[in-house]
Amino acid sequence: MHEDIAEFCLKKTQELGCKYVEVRTEKRTSSGFVLKSGNPEITGFDITKGIGIRYLVNNNLGFLSTNNFDKDKILSLMKKSIATTKNSNKISKKIFFSEEKPQKTNYKVIQKQKIENFTEDKKLNILKEIDKHLIKIPQRYLTIGDEVAEKYYINSEGSKISSVIPRISMLYFFTLSQDKKSIQRYLQYGACSGYEIINKWDLIKKIPEEVELLRNNMNDGIKSPKGKMDLVVGSEISGIAVHESVGHPYEADRILGREGAQAGESFVTPEMINTRIGSEIVNVIEDPTIENSYGFYLYDDEGVKANKKYLIKNGMINEFLHNRETAFELKTKSNGCSRANNYDVEPMLRMSNTIVQSGDSSEEEIIKETKKGIYMKSYMQWNIDDKRYHQRYTGCEAYLIEKGEITKPVFAPVMEVTTPTLWSSIDLIGDKIKTYAGNCGKGEPMQGIPVYFGGPVMRLKNIIIQ
Amino acid sequence: MEEIIYYLKSELLKKGMDDVIIAFHETEGRQLKFVNNKVVKTGAELISNLSIFCSKDKRIIVTSLKDMQKERADELIKKIFSFSKNISPSNDYFGIANGSFKYSVKSNYDKKILDVDDSDLVKKGINKALENSKRVTGNFEVWNLKTHLVTSGGIDSKDESSNIYFSLRAFNEKDESGHMTCCSNTLKNFEIEKTAERAAEVATMAKNPKEVKAGKYPIILSQMAFAPLLNNTSDATSIYNVESGYSFLPKLNEFYGNFTLEDDATLPNGFNSCKFDDEGVPTKKTTIIDKGILKTYLHNTSTSKKYNTETTANAGLISPRSFNIVFDCKKGDIFDVKEGIYITNVWYTRYQNYASGDFSTIPKDGAFLIKNGEIVQSLKGLRISDNMPNLLKNIQCCNKKVWQIKSWEAEIPTFTSEVLINNVNITKPTH
Repeated sequence: MHEDIAEFCLKKTQELGCKYVEVRTEKRTSSGFVLKSGNPEITGFDITKGIGIRYLVNNNLGFLSTNNFDKDKILSLMKKSIATTKNSNKISKKIFFSEEKPQKTNYKVIQKQKIENFTEDKKLNILKEIDKHLIKIPQRYLTIGDEVAEKYYINSEGSKISSVIPRISMLYFFTLSQDKKSIQRYLQYGACSGYEIINKWDLIKKIPEEVELLRNNMNDGIKSPKGKMDLVVGSEISGIAVHESVGHPYEADRILGREGAQAGESFVTPEMINTRIGSEIVNVIEDPTIENSYGFYLYDDEGVKANKKYLIKNGMINEFLHNRETAFELKTKSNGCSRANNYDVEPMLRMSNTIVQSGDSSEEEIIKETKKGIYMKSYMQWNIDDKRYHQRYTGCEAYLIEKGEITKPVFAPVMEVTTPTLWSSIDLIGDKIKTYAGNCGKGEPMQGIPVYFGGPVMRLKNIIIQ
Repeated sequence: MEEIIYYLKSELLKKGMDDVIIAFHETEGRQLKFVNNKVVKTGAELISNLSIFCSKDKRIIVTSLKDMQKERADELIKKIFSFSKNISPSNDYFGIANGSFKYSVKSNYDKKILDVDDSDLVKKGINKALENSKRVTGNFEVWNLKTHLVTSGGIDSKDESSNIYFSLRAFNEKDESGHMTCCSNTLKNFEIEKTAERAAEVATMAKNPKEVKAGKYPIILSQMAFAPLLNNTSDATSIYNVESGYSFLPKLNEFYGNFTLEDDATLPNGFNSCKFDDEGVPTKKTTIIDKGILKTYLHNTSTSKKYNTETTANAGLISPRSFNIVFDCKKGDIFDVKEGIYITNVWYTRYQNYASGDFSTIPKDGAFLIKNGEIVQSLKGLRISDNMPNLLKNIQCCNKKVWQIKSWEAEIPTFTSEVLINNVNITKPTH
């Protein structure tokens, strides 16, 4: 993976006066297919290769990237980049990194059905087989994509890490309509895996089943009751809520203001560590090391070993997500959250797999325990303010719960709530976790990074439904 | 480089492709990101890309070449043909533009743009904003883009553009912030201090925000707040999105509100202005919504043939798209309301249903209660929860303060002034 060029870049950047240097060379081999209402619209394949170099000169941080492997061109760009960084010295912040142990390793995700051996017609056929079951829906949109990311990372402290990570993703979007009513559904699947994952997802079965449930919801769903009641949320809502209102506000770069003009800041302050944010049964983890997860990695893009961490432990804020820069600033160690979505962008502090831990109630028990409420299984809209405090979720598949039983479908119930209220209202947590794939956006230029978010079914007491 | 472009085109056609488009792009650029009044990162990039679109018997393949060597090109050609054998035809594909076109739009190219002193410019912006705010955070970018397009439809054209962009968010105390951006093709029109001044002005006005009652209000949207919604509206006019269910503008010749919406890639200072679209058709001004009537969707040659109309020169080879959005409506006193809300920015606009247009978006930075035409209170913790066709139909008037907005929430550059919209639903958290 262009080890020679990486070594050349490391040496030359150091020779030009940079105290700390890290170099990533990346090669990404990808393909993608779109089936729009049965018609193959886009079929493509690509290979991107390039170099990203990050350095500290006079403790000012610089980053440069190119896909031109000509050494003279690289050197010329390097000189220009370092000159820009030096020129900014008078208005720049001094950047320091936490001390971390250099790592020398290589790892890869094993594929049973290798992407490189899975022909284009097979990929397109996966979409066509699903589409056969959706033929009566006029507007339907299916995609499948794969990527193999080969990465070589070195830094001036002696780290040397090679990795090969394959990713498969699928997405579906459809519109159901009847008379003047319509409902839309969008869901993404993803994993670090070979094509064996497709059978596990079983979308040929799942999507048509969901279509029928949502058609039922659209045609027979009653208007949502309003007012204070218990709200049972499905794994999909636990997942999006934990990503948006726990993962994001616990990103230390946001807490320190680094995303203020882009993805936003945080209602959380450094002083809030070890303070209560949720009920005692709430535990949230962030773990990049989960095998085959969409957000999988074992070493981050600063060469730090990844690990499982508790963001919330027994309802208390336990730990933030850190890279080496935020860790130094908040006097701690990096917990390995630095990621870049390709060679041409700087590594940033990112989530990977953010999950609410399971409790001890079954889904049936949670419903049985609920006298009056709503079960919001999935969502069709959500958003949250840039400090991650005010959020809104609109139910997609949703039901009325009366006297411990699901009685009728409910159309588009809405919860609009603050983050502390949401996590403090949880009094029952299910015993099974489901995870969902997404691409999380941050930075400028925007970087979409693959993540999982998930959790179990949870009950929120006394929530106002709008 | 040119040798490889022509080689690829001729080999692909010789070996049996029906349509070929080769586009070479080279970007050279720099970035300064600043946080809490200080630069925290500088960036530099030199990226080139040779993208290839080709079709054989309606089978479409999109790929690219990164190593500009003949051997790599030969490998790629082999792969393209083996790939094409394994995929299915697209019944919706009807070819690319043919012809020898004349390009009247001049390149938006300022040779000196990469010579600017980034730090000096950013310092001016930061210092200006700090006259009226406590801390500032933002981003500065400058780049040149060179394009060379060669197609089997007879097009062989080059273009060059230069771009400069600045975004600054100013903060005072908790929940007191303002945000403004500016972008330009030339240094001459790049108003960094005016941008910084406006962001700080909003942050100052946002002092001591309070919550407001949920309900229906007339709202005034600043340029920053309106641009993301106009991006959504423009996206809804791409024929690809209409077909896919991503459009709340389902019928041509219907009335959608008292306003005019154009796409114009020929504007002298349009950030995305260019000579030609992705298949080489000369760009032009297209009136999409004329005094409320949806006149056309955005098309490329293939989609226009499918719908028996003309291309609007908005290729995107798969999905037609806007270059620069231009909004206009009746001029008037936008603050002439008994009780309304002035919103200076929005964040996370999300759709419950793209087809119906049900959506919500979160006002960010300064928001203000207006009584009898005057700002009486800074606000926080509100959300617009409404429907886009309703919102568009309730547009009343705009002022004359046109600003070109490109932002994190509005990727397509948008020329708009501030606008008054009646009867907009405002919600807030219940806990």
